[in-house]
Amino acid sequence: MKPLIRIEKLNKSFHNNQVLKNIDLNIYEGEVVCIIGASGSGKSTLLRCINLLEEPDSGNIYFEDQNILDSQFNLNKLRTKIGMVFQSFNLFNNYNVLDNCLIGPTKVLGLSKKDAKEKAIYYLTKVGLENFVHQDVNSLSGGQKQRVAIARALTMEPRVMLFDEPTSALDPEMVGEVLSVMREVAKSRMTMVVVTHEMDFAREVATRVIYMDDGQIIEEGTPEQIFTKPQHPRTNEFLRRILER
Amino acid sequence: MMDNFKIIIKEYFTQILIGIGNTLLLALVGTVVGFFLALIFANLRILKIEKRDQLIVKILKKIGSTFSKIYVTVFRGTPMIVQAVIFYYSFHQFGLIWTPMQAGLFTVSLNTTAYLTEVIRGAIQSLDKGQMEAARSLGLSKTKAMIYIIIPQAVKNSMAPIGNEFIINIKDTAVLSIIQVFDLFSVMKSAAGTYYLYVESMLIAAAIYLILTLSTSMLLRYLEQKIGVPSKPLPSSN
Repeated sequence: MKPLIRIEKLNKSFHNNQVLKNIDLNIYEGEVVCIIGASGSGKSTLLRCINLLEEPDSGNIYFEDQNILDSQFNLNKLRTKIGMVFQSFNLFNNYNVLDNCLIGPTKVLGLSKKDAKEKAIYYLTKVGLENFVHQDVNSLSGGQKQRVAIARALTMEPRVMLFDEPTSALDPEMVGEVLSVMREVAKSRMTMVVVTHEMDFAREVATRVIYMDDGQIIEEGTPEQIFTKPQHPRTNEFLRRILER
Repeated sequence: MMDNFKIIIKEYFTQILIGIGNTLLLALVGTVVGFFLALIFANLRILKIEKRDQLIVKILKKIGSTFSKIYVTVFRGTPMIVQAVIFYYSFHQFGLIWTPMQAGLFTVSLNTTAYLTEVIRGAIQSLDKGQMEAARSLGLSKTKAMIYIIIPQAVKNSMAPIGNEFIINIKDTAVLSIIQVFDLFSVMKSAAGTYYLYVESMLIAAAIYLILTLSTSMLLRYLEQKIGVPSKPLPSSN
């Protein structure tokens, strides 16, 4: 089977700080890949390279077998196929809940208002916010905001969803509702790449777990392999530290 | 003393009204035209050259942002009274005959553009960069992201300084009397000259300017509160 996303020898530096070092990674259709690691290990940067919010310095990224780093490649079209959920939600403050979900489908995909609205309501219902469609986004709780952000990305009906620490900015009591929505998304066979500190979620939902440290992929495997018998001492050390808390 | 005031107001009543009208017209047109031009200039100013851009795009972006930068520096760094004289007379030299009022409107508009360019640029740059990232992550082009996401928020956040600029323009257009624009100050100056009543005329001018700026500021505060209502839905969702 061909990978949906193929990353080869990816390098990225900020100033003199190399945050990604020769990363190779394949993502296959239907996978739920959780990327774990300490902050500063480069996991968010790696994720943000997939939809080119960060431009890598060297290496190749293929999406559906097309080199997305080719200067002729249509970036905007690529991004319609890659949904992204941010740590800080990034809902559009000038629109209400429904309009946040409509802007992509109507202004980028060219869907009619009616069709877009139907889809948006469908996904807002999926994330349990059907009663909030006309609310101002600033009146929502953090958990609700993140669920709107997930619905906004899903309304584009992407081929893969990227989650960049989606629960890190949430109050503890709101983490659960967001994770349970993500579980539902995973159940729908959506391909997902999740940067997370939620080890229980990774253990339960991931089909593959990747441990990153210092800009490199140190170890990868099934959650079983990573969490119960990690091979690399750095993985072991990291998990011990994080699970002790 | 009271009689002096009465005489001035009585004899110059219509002219004062015309002067007030012209002053308000100058301030209003200047601010509105300045606002729209500033939207363009602010967007030129923040053009960023990206790795993916073609050479011609890179050159055009550089020209655009440099032009905007120079424009702002020149217009903010020179007095409006000097600008007015230069525009008014230089256009005459080129054989283009325009009225003082036209030259005045031109000057105040270009001057306001420079100030509002900085206001809008600041408002755009102070928005959370996550707004742009989220827009781009949905596939919106940079232009679409600006139009639908960034500019509406930046403009809303600039409402107070734009209103402030309007009030400043009510007062500062007095300098346009140098090119015989028939604004409130010109009227009062000619009244002063006619009756040799400088203090009284200027006290009247001051009182009228104060009434204009105070009432405008109250009106603006009211409008701001109205606009400040959170979330304006797209026309799409009813």
